[in-house]
Amino acid sequence: MAAFTVHTSAATSLYSPAGTAILLRSRSRAYPTTTTIRVSCSKTVVIGVAADSGCGKSTFMRRLTSVLGGGAESPRGGNPNSNTLVSDTATVICLDDYHSLDRAGRKAKGVTALDPRAHDFDLMYEQVRAIKEGRAVEKPVYNHVTGRLDPPELITPPEILVIKGLHPMYDERVRDLLDLSIYLDISNEVKFKWKVQRDMAERGHSLENIRASIEARKPDFDAYIEPQKQYADAVIEVLPTQLIPGPGDDEGKVLRVKLIMKEGVEHFAPVYLFDEGSTVNWIPCGRKLSCSYPGIRFAYGFGTYFGHEVSVVEMDGQFDKLDELIYVETHLSNLSTKFYGEVAQQMLKHADFPGSSNGTGLFQTIVGLKIRDLYEQIVARR
Amino acid sequence: MATSVTAVAALAVFSAPRSLPQPPAPLPSRQNVVSFVGRPVRAHRRLVAVAASSPATPPDLANKVSESIKQAKETCADDPVSAECVAAWDEVEELSAAASHARDRQKGVDPLEEYCKDNPETKECRTYED
Repeated sequence: MAAFTVHTSAATSLYSPAGTAILLRSRSRAYPTTTTIRVSCSKTVVIGVAADSGCGKSTFMRRLTSVLGGGAESPRGGNPNSNTLVSDTATVICLDDYHSLDRAGRKAKGVTALDPRAHDFDLMYEQVRAIKEGRAVEKPVYNHVTGRLDPPELITPPEILVIKGLHPMYDERVRDLLDLSIYLDISNEVKFKWKVQRDMAERGHSLENIRASIEARKPDFDAYIEPQKQYADAVIEVLPTQLIPGPGDDEGKVLRVKLIMKEGVEHFAPVYLFDEGSTVNWIPCGRKLSCSYPGIRFAYGFGTYFGHEVSVVEMDGQFDKLDELIYVETHLSNLSTKFYGEVAQQMLKHADFPGSSNGTGLFQTIVGLKIRDLYEQIVARR
Repeated sequence: MATSVTAVAALAVFSAPRSLPQPPAPLPSRQNVVSFVGRPVRAHRRLVAVAASSPATPPDLANKVSESIKQAKETCADDPVSAECVAAWDEVEELSAAASHARDRQKGVDPLEEYCKDNPETKECRTYED
């Protein structure tokens, strides 16, 4: 009788607890024979998010994992500086882990992290495809504190894989693997205000330094990151508010946020206001709803974005009370909620998160619900 | 900077004196204000409690950030458009983002819970179950 052993080799780890891939090696035969049996019970749904906010637990990821259920934590027992987040249904991978040049290497070559020369797209494609097909991978870890590449960590295929970083849609092969892609587009003024808020407490930072840092990165950003906008299925565009005249809002708290949704994407139905396919300008504040300054203004319309047909929902202003939130939710359609008030409930659950009182929180929550809906549709189809 | 603003706010909040001596004569507020100002020691204790509320970046990361800013300024002093200058500012951005994430991780920690984990028998940490 042949004795069988299950092997996991160092280079490509094929062991997966879900039992989706088994490598059998027979010992008693004279020559080594390997039979690979791949049993895919479920294919992982892959979502790409393009954002320039580094590899921490960003607000968008927190809202997304909350909508999908379960809290997201770093992998247990692994590298404490790991950039990966794991929850019950989803795993979030940070694309900085696919740096081919570490911080010293980039400095020597004079290359920024935005430059595709600093990334290993071949490895990214191979590993995302492996996870999508149900195979576990040993993914490298980029340590942001030391700036070096740490030993790899094991990633087992989850139900939903989110790849977040600067270049999820840059490589064509990786783009084709994505079931849905999202781009977070922060305008320059808002970016500056947010970075000031983030960095002013740091020793050594000043307004000039922050501005210099943004200006220095701009050419690479415009050349390599911006072009990904055209490939995204949904773009969340954050602009300064039009409701407060002049430089009134210095902290970037009141914002004008647009949710641009591509038409014709499979399993993704764009959100609309009142009448799909029309153009609407709506100020909910009035007799039925009282709002505080500066109020809320909504707009809905359609158009083209980089040559694609899109629907655009826009919110300018700030939520002040729960009433306003529920009132607005009542009038939006195609939200993919499971019960009336789910958006408001999610927003309230995380009322301490940044953006909870403006369109960023609202549209991030809605995109999270859309992702959940897309996942359920794909699973139902199998 | 942020902590001094909160400290000033704390002073404003706690300025209602609990046990300042009431003057017998009806010359009230001016005397009270003077006697409050004349006791800076009371305010000092409250300053300490407020300063602990905003999380600070871990010192090694904070040092890295300031080092990288210094280096970036030096590199860019010679040639503001060179690739080295751009890469230096990119490094500053990367480290600032890492510092901000480190602060976020610390933010979730409740100082009272931390204290009570080590000292469950103190008065503040007593739990009463009926």
